[in-house]
Amino acid sequence: MLIDSNAYIGHWPFRQFEYNTLDALLGRMAEFGTDASVVSSLNGIFYKNTQAANEELYDSLRSKKIYQERFIPFAVINPIYSGWQDDFETCRTKMGMKGIRLYPKYHDYDLTDPSCVELVKMARDRGLPVALSLRMVDSRPTSWLDIEKEWSLKDVIPIIRLVPDARYLILNVANSPDLSGEDTELLRKAEILMDTSGRNIINLGELLVKYGKNKFCFGTHSPILDYCTGLLRIEALRDSEADENTKELLRSGNLKSILGM
Amino acid sequence: MLRVNRREFVANTAASAAGIILGSGLMGFTSKEKSDIPSGGTKKESLMQEVMKYRKIDTHAHVYFSEDSPRTQIDFADRLGIEKLMISRPMVPFSKGLPEEFRKCNDLVLRCVKQHPDRFIGMLVVNPTYGKESLEEIKRCVDAGMVGTGELYNHVKINDPSFYPIIEKFIDLKMIILMHTAIGYARVKLNAHEPRNISLPEDFVDIAKRYPEAMFQFAHIGGGIDWEYACKALKHSPNVYVDVSGSNNAANMIDLAIKYLGEDRLLFGCDNSFYQGVGHIFSAKLTDAQRKKIFFENYSQILKKGGKNVD
Repeated sequence: MLIDSNAYIGHWPFRQFEYNTLDALLGRMAEFGTDASVVSSLNGIFYKNTQAANEELYDSLRSKKIYQERFIPFAVINPIYSGWQDDFETCRTKMGMKGIRLYPKYHDYDLTDPSCVELVKMARDRGLPVALSLRMVDSRPTSWLDIEKEWSLKDVIPIIRLVPDARYLILNVANSPDLSGEDTELLRKAEILMDTSGRNIINLGELLVKYGKNKFCFGTHSPILDYCTGLLRIEALRDSEADENTKELLRSGNLKSILGM
Repeated sequence: MLRVNRREFVANTAASAAGIILGSGLMGFTSKEKSDIPSGGTKKESLMQEVMKYRKIDTHAHVYFSEDSPRTQIDFADRLGIEKLMISRPMVPFSKGLPEEFRKCNDLVLRCVKQHPDRFIGMLVVNPTYGKESLEEIKRCVDAGMVGTGELYNHVKINDPSFYPIIEKFIDLKMIILMHTAIGYARVKLNAHEPRNISLPEDFVDIAKRYPEAMFQFAHIGGGIDWEYACKALKHSPNVYVDVSGSNNAANMIDLAIKYLGEDRLLFGCDNSFYQGVGHIFSAKLTDAQRKKIFFENYSQILKKGGKNVD
C-alpha cells in the first residue's frame, strides 16, 4: 500500500499549478499507484482566516464518495488568529480532519509562541499529528513577494522539545537534516515522521540508519514538486539498505501508525 | 508519463483501494456523489523497471576534490540506470580563475575518467580572461579525450568578446559549451550576492545569435533559477540547449520547457541531484519517444557531431 503524506489542493499566488484539484490529484495517484493521500488546502496559507480554506476543502471532499475513500484531510490552523480554538474543534469533530498543518513563517508567529504551544498540546491530547513543512517552495525562484527564509530540520526542534509527546510530520526536508547529538536523540525518541519529498533526503539509506526506519514516510509535496521523486527515493533503495518490510513501512506503514489507522 | 504502463498493473488490484483497506470514509461523513475515478494499488516495482528501461546520459555532472568522489556519483548513477556522466570540475565561483586552477580542475576530471572510462566522459573548464592559456588547455584536454566545456561559472560572461576565440574553437571542434547561469536572478532583479560577470538568459540569446553555428548548453533550469523566465527567454535561440538538472524539481518544469523549447533541445542532467533529475522526467507528460530524446538521444546527437559515438 502507498499513502502520500504530503499533498495539497488549491492555488499558489505566484505560479500556476496543474494538479491542484482533487480530481487531478486522483489522476496522479492512479498513475503512480498511490492508494490514499493526506491533503490540505494551499489557500489556507494565504487566507488570514484559515478556516475559510478548511471549509472549502471540506466542501470539495464531500462532493464525491471516492474523495472520502482516498483522502485524509488536514486542517490549516493559525493559532494567533481569533477563533482558532473553535476552528480546531470544528475541523476535528465536524469536518473529519485527521491532523493539522501549521505555517508559522507565512502566518508570522514563532513556533514557540504560547498559542502555538497550546495548539500543539491540544492536537496531542486529541491524537492528531502536527505537520510542519521546512519550506513550501524553493525560495530562490519564487516571487519577490514571497518569504525568503527557509527552515532546516533544527528549526523545528524547539516545539518538539516543548511538546515532546505530540505526533509530528516534518515535510519537505529541503535543507540540512543534520542535528546536534542531543537533538538527534530527541528526534529519535519523539513520534515524528519525515517525508521523502525534500531535496535533502539525499541518501535515504544513511538517514534510515541515523534516525531509524520508523522515522520516514512517502511524500510528494504535490502539486508544488514533481510527483515521482519522493517515491523514487524509496524504490531505489537497495535491499541492503531497506528490505521489503522496511519499504512497506516507508510506503504506508509508518504513516498509518502516526495517523492511528 | 507512466500512465499507460502503470495502469496496466493497476487493473487487477482495484480491491486495494484505500477506502477498502483503510476503512471506507476516511473523513467519517457521507458524500453527495458516487465515485468515478480508478483506484491506486499499482505494483511498486514497476517504477524502477520503468526507470531502468531508459538509456541515460547525465549531461550536467560533476566530480569533486573530496574523498568520496567519484564513488558517490557512480553509486547514484548505478541506482538510477545512468549510463554515462559528462563530468567536469568547475572552478570556484569567486576565484581568480587562474590557469593553474583550471588545469588542476581538468586534471581531476582526467583522473576520474581514467578510473571509470566506461561511465565518465570528460568536459573541460577554462577562463577566457587567459586566452592563450585557455586555448592551450583546450588542445591538451581534447587530445586527452574531452568533448566540450563543463560548467563554466562567472569569470567571464558568455557573450563577452574575450569568449569569442574560445567559442570559435568549439565551433571548429563541433563541441558544446556548457555555462552556468544566475541563480540570484530569480526575483527578476539580480541579487547583490551574485558575481558581476554571471551570465543571464539574455546573454545566451545574444551570443547564440552572434554564433548560430555554435552549440550552447544553458545550465540547470532546476538549479534554483527562474525556470519559467529562462525557458521563455530562450524560445527563439535554437542553438541553445537547456539541461533540466538541479535540486529544484518543481512540478510542471519539464512540461513548460517542452512547451517553449520543444523536445529536441532539452537535455537530461542531475547536477548531483540524481533523484530529482530522473524523477521530474518521469513525472512529466512525455511520450516514450520524448523521454528517449531527453534522457539520451538529444545529447548523443551532439556528441556525434564532435566525433564521439556513445550509441
